[in-house]
Amino acid sequence: MKILFVSRLERSARAVRPITKYAEIGKQLGHEVAVFGEPRADFPSVPHAMDIHAFDVAIFVIYEAWDFPDLPHLAHLLDRMPKERRVIIDCTGTYNETISAEHDSNHLKKLNGHQSWEWIEGFDAVADKIVQPTLRPLRQDVRSFLFFGYDPSAVVRAYRSANEAAQEWLSQNGAGKPYGIAYVGHNWERWGQVRRFLEAIEPLKDRLGAIHLRGWAWDQRPEWAIEHGFEGVDVDPALLKRVGVKTGESIPFSEVIDFQGKARFCPVFHRPLFNQLGLITNRTFETFCSDTIPLLMLPDRVIEDIYGPDACHLAPGDDVAGRLEDMMRRPEFYWDAVLKTRTYLAAHHSYARRFEELMAILD
Amino acid sequence: MNILFVMDKRTNAGSIQAVASYVRAGDELGHTIALYGQPDPKYPGMRWSQDLGKFDHVVFICEFGIGWMSGLRMSRILTEVPRTKRAILDADGMYNPVLCIDMYDRNHRDDHGRAFWVGHCDALADKILQPTCEPLQPTVLPVPFYGYDPSLRVEPGTRPKSFDIVHVGHNWWRWREVSSSLLPAIERIRPQLDGICFVGLWWDMVPAGAREDGLEIAFEFDLVRFGRLGIQIKPAVPFTQVASAMSEGRVTIMTQRPLFRRLKLLTAKYFEIFCADTIPLVMLDPAHAESVYGPAGRELALNGNIADKLLDAVQNPHKYQDIVRDVRRHLAKHHSYHNRTQQLIEVLRA
Repeated sequence: MKILFVSRLERSARAVRPITKYAEIGKQLGHEVAVFGEPRADFPSVPHAMDIHAFDVAIFVIYEAWDFPDLPHLAHLLDRMPKERRVIIDCTGTYNETISAEHDSNHLKKLNGHQSWEWIEGFDAVADKIVQPTLRPLRQDVRSFLFFGYDPSAVVRAYRSANEAAQEWLSQNGAGKPYGIAYVGHNWERWGQVRRFLEAIEPLKDRLGAIHLRGWAWDQRPEWAIEHGFEGVDVDPALLKRVGVKTGESIPFSEVIDFQGKARFCPVFHRPLFNQLGLITNRTFETFCSDTIPLLMLPDRVIEDIYGPDACHLAPGDDVAGRLEDMMRRPEFYWDAVLKTRTYLAAHHSYARRFEELMAILD
Repeated sequence: MNILFVMDKRTNAGSIQAVASYVRAGDELGHTIALYGQPDPKYPGMRWSQDLGKFDHVVFICEFGIGWMSGLRMSRILTEVPRTKRAILDADGMYNPVLCIDMYDRNHRDDHGRAFWVGHCDALADKILQPTCEPLQPTVLPVPFYGYDPSLRVEPGTRPKSFDIVHVGHNWWRWREVSSSLLPAIERIRPQLDGICFVGLWWDMVPAGAREDGLEIAFEFDLVRFGRLGIQIKPAVPFTQVASAMSEGRVTIMTQRPLFRRLKLLTAKYFEIFCADTIPLVMLDPAHAESVYGPAGRELALNGNIADKLLDAVQNPHKYQDIVRDVRRHLAKHHSYHNRTQQLIEVLRA
């Protein structure tokens, strides 16, 4: 099958990694996968194509309205690819009635100018099939397709045992790993959770090592957000300073796994909206490829559904400091959970499996 | 005929007043005219619809920006409305080749920007309309579009005259003419005038993003000079209050950005100013003023000796009231929204 992905690629956000993996695995399985558009020098590994007629299906990967192509390309796409051969992957749950969680929402009208009905009617016009990366879509006309996957070949250190991993992890303490905790992700509707996390670990800060946040707008709230009263990029520089948190700019998708491996612990946060809808992201799986102990700061249901039975040990719950202390005291136990979870993810969430699921949807 | 307008609506700018007038005129003539969207209390009197299937034609009203035509928004329209049923009103002359007037006002920064714009339009529709009688390109259809709506008339004496001179309009490519022609004239006669007020956006600030977009020059202003001349600045008013705001002046001045003057593009302001209880003076070439407003319109053109004309209008209102009455009569006959609706229907049917 020839599959054309339609999305806007960015080096430090969104769906570039899964699309790259679908292209790679599709090729291995005898399919052809490309992204709609002219070839881009900044994504040499991503095949691009403009010849719509040469493809069997178009898959729109939509986070924001601008993921739809601009005119005239949109008109060409809609003219040349029949609706029944178009699929939308709704990565942010916009194809729902308006849902709010804290100050997060699936329809951030203040930012993108689109009202809720425009999302529903726009999606209905574009594709017969709409899927969302959650196991529990709210609408009956939406199918579940997790889209993102786990890539065992990207695991930096494939330890033979938990003991080996723990020994390595302990020996690197303060030497090989420059950070105690690192989080890679943009400050987009996540500050509430990050603030609570930092407040919880503050008593341990001297024992944890350096704490680093990498991504957009962790250093200060952008001017436009202040001007428009937008709370989704709140941050408290005083708290960051007090806890000794350093911030840095975004990291390209190809460097995320290695960077996270420079930290002993890497928390996984999802936006409040995503937690409510059970939506998953790149980082849901990517963190398990890094040489680090992931801290699953996610709802219990998401952890049980996605990561399998052993991952509960990696979820600190309400006692973040207590769990971190225990992890430092007996890392082998927790590395055992990491390795077992990796095995579970490889069995249930590999990109090869995702590709099969996608083919079933397209059929 | 049923016509659906699609636009990036703003309460205090652009073509929103015209759409409201088309809705009223359509009702009177037995046509259904609406604006794409859901009811919004900020736009009283508007008819709204999202039911694309109910309309014979969809007209996109495109002004300067085109980002609002997002793929999400356009997908449904492209899918449900055949191309032959779509038209674009190019209100700001953006479909023209790149034009730069006196190294100042321009429709596009460069050919790339123009190609982007034209690409959008060509993908959407075959018919491109411009609100001018003299389009530069043979493929563009001339449609005056904006008109005179007597239902917007402000009854004489119903608004207190707070100012001798009022200017209602945003500071968008207007500063060069205002600073080089209008302000020197006002300066000459300032001691003989009472209050002066500019109503609109950006007379005291550059909007966010203008510098980054290389458009700072379009928003030049000089608060010191305004202060020295005793010119007040008031914020923009919603479209429902434009005629009322103009009526606060004994004389109201209309300026037009140089590009629009060159292209002879009509705007809503051409006609709104005659709905106000004021003496309208328009900074247009007299011949163009006459072509729109009739023979009497020539007398209301601020061209040449601006200071004397301003002072004359302020000091001898009765002399101008007859001229204004003649123009209104001309507008009611030739530029009503009944006329405009018929003209638009003819073009869409052709």
